[in-house]
Amino acid sequence: MPAKRMTRRSFLNLVAALGGGTVLAACAPKVVEKEVLKKETVVVREKETVVVEAPSEKMVVLTCAHAWEAAFEAHQEKFDNLFMEKHPNIFIKRINSGWSEHNQIVPTWAAAGELPDIIYVHGSRAFPWNSEGILISIQEYVDNDVAFDVKGIWEEALKLYRYQGKLYEIPYDHGPIILGYNKDLFDQAGLEYPNENWTWEGEFLQAAKALTKEGRQWGYSGYYGTVVGLGNEQGIASVGPWGGEVFNEDETKLLVDSPEAKTGLQFFADLIHVHKVAPTPAETQAFPAGIWISGVVGMFALATWGTPQMHEFGNFRYDVAPWPKGPKGRKTGSFGSGYGITKDSKHPAEAWTYLSAYLSKEGMEFMWGSSGRGSPARKAAYQSWIDSAISPEHAEYYLEALEEYAVTGHPYKTLRAAEVMDVINKYTGLVQTGDMTVDECVNRIMAEADPLLRA
Amino acid sequence: MSSTTAAPQGQRGITLRSVRWYRRKAVRELARVVCVYILIVPGAILLLLPFLWMLSTALKLPKQIFVFPPQLIPNPPQWRNFVDGWTKYVPFTLYLRNTLIITGNNILGNLFSCCLAAYGFARLRARGKDVLFLLVLGTMMLPFWVTLIPQYVLFSRLRWTNTFLPLTVPAWFGWPFFIFLLRQFFMTIPRDLDAAARIDGCSTWGILWRIILPLSKPALATVAVFAFIGNWNNFLSPLIYLRDQDKYTLAIGLQRFQGVHGNMQYHHMMAVSTLIVLPILVVYFLAQRLFVRGIVMTGMKG
Amino acid sequence: MRATRLFRRPRPLTLRAREELDFYLAISPWAIGFIVFGGGPLVASLVMSLTDWTGLTTRHWVGVQNYVAMVTADRDFFTVLRNTFYYSFGSVSLGVVLSLAVALLMNQKVPGINVFRTLYYLPAVTSGVAIAIMFAWIFNPQVGLINFLLSLIGIKGPLWLASQQWAMPALILMSLWGVGGNMVVLLAGLQGVPEELYDAAKVDGAGKWREFLHVTLPMISPVVFFIIITSIISTFQVFENVYIMTRGGPGTATRVYVFHLYQNAFEYQKMGYASALAWVLFLIILGLTWLQLRASRYWVYYEFEGETR
Repeated sequence: MPAKRMTRRSFLNLVAALGGGTVLAACAPKVVEKEVLKKETVVVREKETVVVEAPSEKMVVLTCAHAWEAAFEAHQEKFDNLFMEKHPNIFIKRINSGWSEHNQIVPTWAAAGELPDIIYVHGSRAFPWNSEGILISIQEYVDNDVAFDVKGIWEEALKLYRYQGKLYEIPYDHGPIILGYNKDLFDQAGLEYPNENWTWEGEFLQAAKALTKEGRQWGYSGYYGTVVGLGNEQGIASVGPWGGEVFNEDETKLLVDSPEAKTGLQFFADLIHVHKVAPTPAETQAFPAGIWISGVVGMFALATWGTPQMHEFGNFRYDVAPWPKGPKGRKTGSFGSGYGITKDSKHPAEAWTYLSAYLSKEGMEFMWGSSGRGSPARKAAYQSWIDSAISPEHAEYYLEALEEYAVTGHPYKTLRAAEVMDVINKYTGLVQTGDMTVDECVNRIMAEADPLLRA
Repeated sequence: MSSTTAAPQGQRGITLRSVRWYRRKAVRELARVVCVYILIVPGAILLLLPFLWMLSTALKLPKQIFVFPPQLIPNPPQWRNFVDGWTKYVPFTLYLRNTLIITGNNILGNLFSCCLAAYGFARLRARGKDVLFLLVLGTMMLPFWVTLIPQYVLFSRLRWTNTFLPLTVPAWFGWPFFIFLLRQFFMTIPRDLDAAARIDGCSTWGILWRIILPLSKPALATVAVFAFIGNWNNFLSPLIYLRDQDKYTLAIGLQRFQGVHGNMQYHHMMAVSTLIVLPILVVYFLAQRLFVRGIVMTGMKG
Repeated sequence: MRATRLFRRPRPLTLRAREELDFYLAISPWAIGFIVFGGGPLVASLVMSLTDWTGLTTRHWVGVQNYVAMVTADRDFFTVLRNTFYYSFGSVSLGVVLSLAVALLMNQKVPGINVFRTLYYLPAVTSGVAIAIMFAWIFNPQVGLINFLLSLIGIKGPLWLASQQWAMPALILMSLWGVGGNMVVLLAGLQGVPEELYDAAKVDGAGKWREFLHVTLPMISPVVFFIIITSIISTFQVFENVYIMTRGGPGTATRVYVFHLYQNAFEYQKMGYASALAWVLFLIILGLTWLQLRASRYWVYYEFEGETR
């Protein structure tokens, strides 16, 4: 299997890349005296087994807080062990909380001054955490580490992590929303698969109607079951094709009341209530991951991080196609996650050594690319994800989207983001249930959420 | 089977009248049992259904879990989900050990500290008692979320974070819910018993040990069962206070199957959930002997 | 309080003084724990409620501004208050009646009752996420269990969690799921009622209903009181089911107090404001508990009163 070979190859690449760690570390600031320490400990280390069980006293212990599910933990461990083998002076400890728990615990750690050295930072948390000083700027490390090719990371991905002109975190994945479809249902209906010529109001709507069987099967089911939504990546994907925006660039104003944005919202609301090709919230209930997973939906909005789930739980063949074009062309939203070094880290230089390897091309290929777990934030590592066993057949459409028409979905640079999104979700939710018209929804959002951005 | 339903069969010389009386009594008893069953069986089935659903998911292949409409009977049943779930990704045996340590300690700690406090509040007279009791209740009324960070900072200052101490030591210093519960039970015990014991020269503590506690076995069993379940299922506090993965508990282990965006190993999670619930049921089932013995004791002494 | 006042006159270490000393000894573990572990965080949260603390690092003194903002600036405050009262009232009243009924049934001597008791307790011990996912299925309007059962008697069920009118009733129904916990407490209470009292009632020729009203209920009234108070306290703090199942929606139909508080604390980064919300909730629950304590004098029967009146 080519995918298997790919995994092996990315593993070897990683080993080779980590071997260059000494050179790499030498480029980082304040590292000379650490070099001496490393040479001493090599002797000690050779008596030990490859898997390091406990740190010796001379080692620098780095604690990394991830938000991985159990099944991915083994993969992380493999990386960390390899890293420790190449960097005998560093010992890596891991903390793994669930995703939402991680976001509760980080402020708690911060208050007690007990933050781990390295923490996972979701794109939406970067701004508040950076502005509160939970993380330190890594701009200097990035600038001095010639081996770490920061330019190889998409600018759209880096955007999330820049605070007051400086880089605070490094993204590991970045992905856009594009159109996923259930090949089995298309075949049954005798329809042609979606392609790059599709428009929302044309071929998409026609196919959606043809795929719908009342109460049992639907043409389209949105992003994780949300048909009308304005959050980050989904927001711009929903109104962008009609030329609308959700926020202005500085996030000081909401722009959802423009005719373009309203037309986009109306289109998706009509899919539920007028064309009846998308399920109501009542019908999608009990599918936390979106009803598409049960194989009764023809098309859906699928981001790269949704694909491992499709592979594991989807009992049907599926593929992806470009996000359809709207009257104002093609546009979609993207988002991602990253890692950063905290204020409480006593070893920021070593922490950078780790991040520099972890988020290098080879690191990304090994961790997320070849495993299929997430689409790397580096273009150079993207192919490994496209080639992985669990990514969809035409995964290159994701790359195309990132290169050509995806933009990072706001909000990510206002402290009021969560509050504004709560108001927005409240009313878009009522549009989905049919309790509110798009016009009223937009009016309420402008009245309640827009002022928050200027408060 | 209740003894009243059985007429004395082996005896000779029973009058016709008494046979009829016994028969009528037996019929009435049978009617009562049937009535009770009619009321409790449907409820039991209703309550069992979700559990069966859990079991059914636990036995499915990932690709069968979300088939729509749902299928209740997995085909073929994946018994290995139980083994994989328990061992493959998360070291549940280790977590079981940790959970047992914490749970065992907390049952003992709660019984000790809450019995004492409840005894004070229920049966001893003192100034300021009402205000103090309201304070006990008051500590249950402030949402956990706003004391979370100060509490963490406190344990951090004590250098207790990443140890079992924040999870085990407070149990020895009372738990409002249990203090309140035991107080209510202690207050149902007749006062004459104390008075009599005092006349016999029993001290305050002797009364607690020889009279109150033996008469409160159902309540003590209730507290033990609740403490067991509460600690067994407790998730957020251990997750916040424990950092090393080898110190985690069962509930954290269970949560480890959950990833971002509904990315969850449902089959393994349900399999382990099932396994984790079983000991609780066994404990409760066995604890019922204590409840029954409780009445007998009350009956004898009361 | 009368006796207490009498007692305040200085005396040598009498039996009563000895008893008072014993009282303080008995509650000392709790008192020490309260001072060491509970008090600090409690005071901290009270102080924080007077600041604009984000929950992270920055904080400034803002006085009572957070408390004022609840009624002036928080557009959802009265909604969440109303929702919480609705939930609490529904859940407590139905929950107490149902758990009492179940406990009475479970107190019957019929073969295999231990198995049934265990089954009825099962839901109360099955935790978190598994149950939430399952309930999402149960309430699914199309293929869910509840609407299926309703369809058997010819009723077209509502949309439940997807409906602004029915989402809260759905959550209340879901809360009845945990009735097994209260059942256990009541059962322990019922088991403690001395058989002689029933025998005495029989001799007096009391029927089943009068026996319940005049023997069972007074004897277990302290336990019923316990259940009412703890149910009020816990339902006013309902969070998990809302967080997992509805996230306050549709609209604000199920946005309850502690969910609102949580959003402020951990999502909006307004920990200071969340602390103020917490203390207002504290006062509300305290008020209701105090009312209950007052009312309990008229209906709760204690064998041993101590000096609490």
